[in-house]
Amino acid sequence: MLSLEGIHFQYHPLDPIVLSDLSLEIPAERVTAILGPNGTGKTTLLHILLGLLKPKQGTTWVAGKQHQDYSRRELSRLIGLVPQFESIPFNFSVYEYVLLGRSPHLNPFQLPGDEDHEIACQALETAGILHLAEKPVMEISGGERQLVHIARVFTQGTSILLLDEPTAHLDLQNQNRILSILKKMAAGGSTAVMTTHDPNAAIYAADYFVLMNKGQIAAKGSVEEVITPQNLSGIYQTPIRVEKVDGFTMVVMDQEGVL
Amino acid sequence: MSLAVVGGVFLASIFIGRYPEPFWMPLRVLQEDPLARQLVLRLRLPRLITALLLGMVLSAAGTAMQMIFRNPLVEPGFLGVSQGAAFGAAVSILWLTRHPLIIELSATFFSLLALAGAYFLSTRIRYGGWVLRLILSGVAVSALFSAGVGVLKYLADPLTELPELTFWMLGGLYSVTWRDLLFALPFALLGIGVAFVMRWRVNLLSLNDETAFSLGATLGRERLLLLIATVSATAALTAISGIIGWIGLIIPHIARRIFGASAEKSLPAAMLLGGIFSMLADDLARTLLPGEIPLGILTSAIGAILFIYLMISMGIKVRSHE
Repeated sequence: MLSLEGIHFQYHPLDPIVLSDLSLEIPAERVTAILGPNGTGKTTLLHILLGLLKPKQGTTWVAGKQHQDYSRRELSRLIGLVPQFESIPFNFSVYEYVLLGRSPHLNPFQLPGDEDHEIACQALETAGILHLAEKPVMEISGGERQLVHIARVFTQGTSILLLDEPTAHLDLQNQNRILSILKKMAAGGSTAVMTTHDPNAAIYAADYFVLMNKGQIAAKGSVEEVITPQNLSGIYQTPIRVEKVDGFTMVVMDQEGVL
Repeated sequence: MSLAVVGGVFLASIFIGRYPEPFWMPLRVLQEDPLARQLVLRLRLPRLITALLLGMVLSAAGTAMQMIFRNPLVEPGFLGVSQGAAFGAAVSILWLTRHPLIIELSATFFSLLALAGAYFLSTRIRYGGWVLRLILSGVAVSALFSAGVGVLKYLADPLTELPELTFWMLGGLYSVTWRDLLFALPFALLGIGVAFVMRWRVNLLSLNDETAFSLGATLGRERLLLLIATVSATAALTAISGIIGWIGLIIPHIARRIFGASAEKSLPAAMLLGGIFSMLADDLARTLLPGEIPLGILTSAIGAILFIYLMISMGIKVRSHE
């Protein structure tokens, strides 16, 4: 569905290399979690998967064709993005904002029609935020904002979903809501890729794990293959334990406190 | 409803002026006095249509630019477009020709140059947020072109060219003819048309680059199309009206306040409100005093007072961290 082969990337020829010789196949209809320390290239990788950044070397594939073989609009009907943070300079209502998800299905001079409005309403309902429709986007909470982003991707109707740290800054209830939605989407046939700093959130939602370090993939595979004390302690350079609690895998810092 | 108000203001404005007596020309005079008919047909009508188009274009350009640059404080004047147009028009008047088409083309060229300069400069500044950088570069580019205009004024013949240039800079529609209007019309209609058909799309162009990209926008191309269309329209009208400030800043705010942030509604609303505002301001400009008050002075005064009111009543929200 989505794969990368021999990717090298740097933002500027004089800047340090961000990704080097990176190859990855994202399993279809699953949730993939990309983990790794700050500055290791997770968001860059996500932007390459989106087609926003073009690698210096290597090829990127989506649904059997290379990214560059799609038009901008075709690609945006296949892959949706939930950004980590989005500053919105104008106070759109939640509904107006979510409706923008229909853009890939309209040409630049077209207005959304009845069908587009219906799809936007359905998306708000699926994300559980229909009651927020008339509220100004600037005046809702961080958790609600993230649900609004997700509703916009539903409106976009893509089968591939990229999420940049979707649970960062959210309380436990909102984390749970977002991750449950992701799991449901994968069960319904969507492919999701999320970056995260929280291994427990990744374990809860994901089926496939990619652990990155210094612009390369350190480990990939199932939870047992990737989420090991050796892998995590080595990469994060801090003692980390992995324990089973009531059948669930949990990542715990070896000193004090729970990660 | 709004169209009816525009039509009403337009019709009423035909009768507002200082002939044969201050403020109002009765219908009877128009029927009986051939001079009154000449005045309305030859002077007042082209002037009124220009005022309407000017208000519409400045408000459309203001809305489009505020959204494209993700900054509610942007207006054509801030990014050097108005000063660029003034410079281009002055260059043409002094050195090339006074043919309206050449003046408008020269004004358009220098406006686009100013806009490109301000945008490029803002990407080279290494400190401050996006809002600050854009405003700083706009101020710098504006100042450069206004210095250029100063030099041209200095070089102008003090008896023939200078008074004309100076009064023109203050902004006014007193000398608009059908011919001026005819040459500006295609640019104005193109600007208004492009802004109108892209009124929903412009919302998308106001999002973060990565989000807009993920939603299928070809950002560079779409922003450029909208900017070129609205800046050319602004420049073509500025070339015949002089610099008319504040309409492009204040009217989009009022429209957003009444009709909501989505440009699908607020952009056409801003165009209509802008048209009404500029027709009414021009009515005042030609009736308040026995002599003409430059329109630019009136729009600045009224615009600034409205701006102060909107600021203290929280109608304008700027996010300083961007």
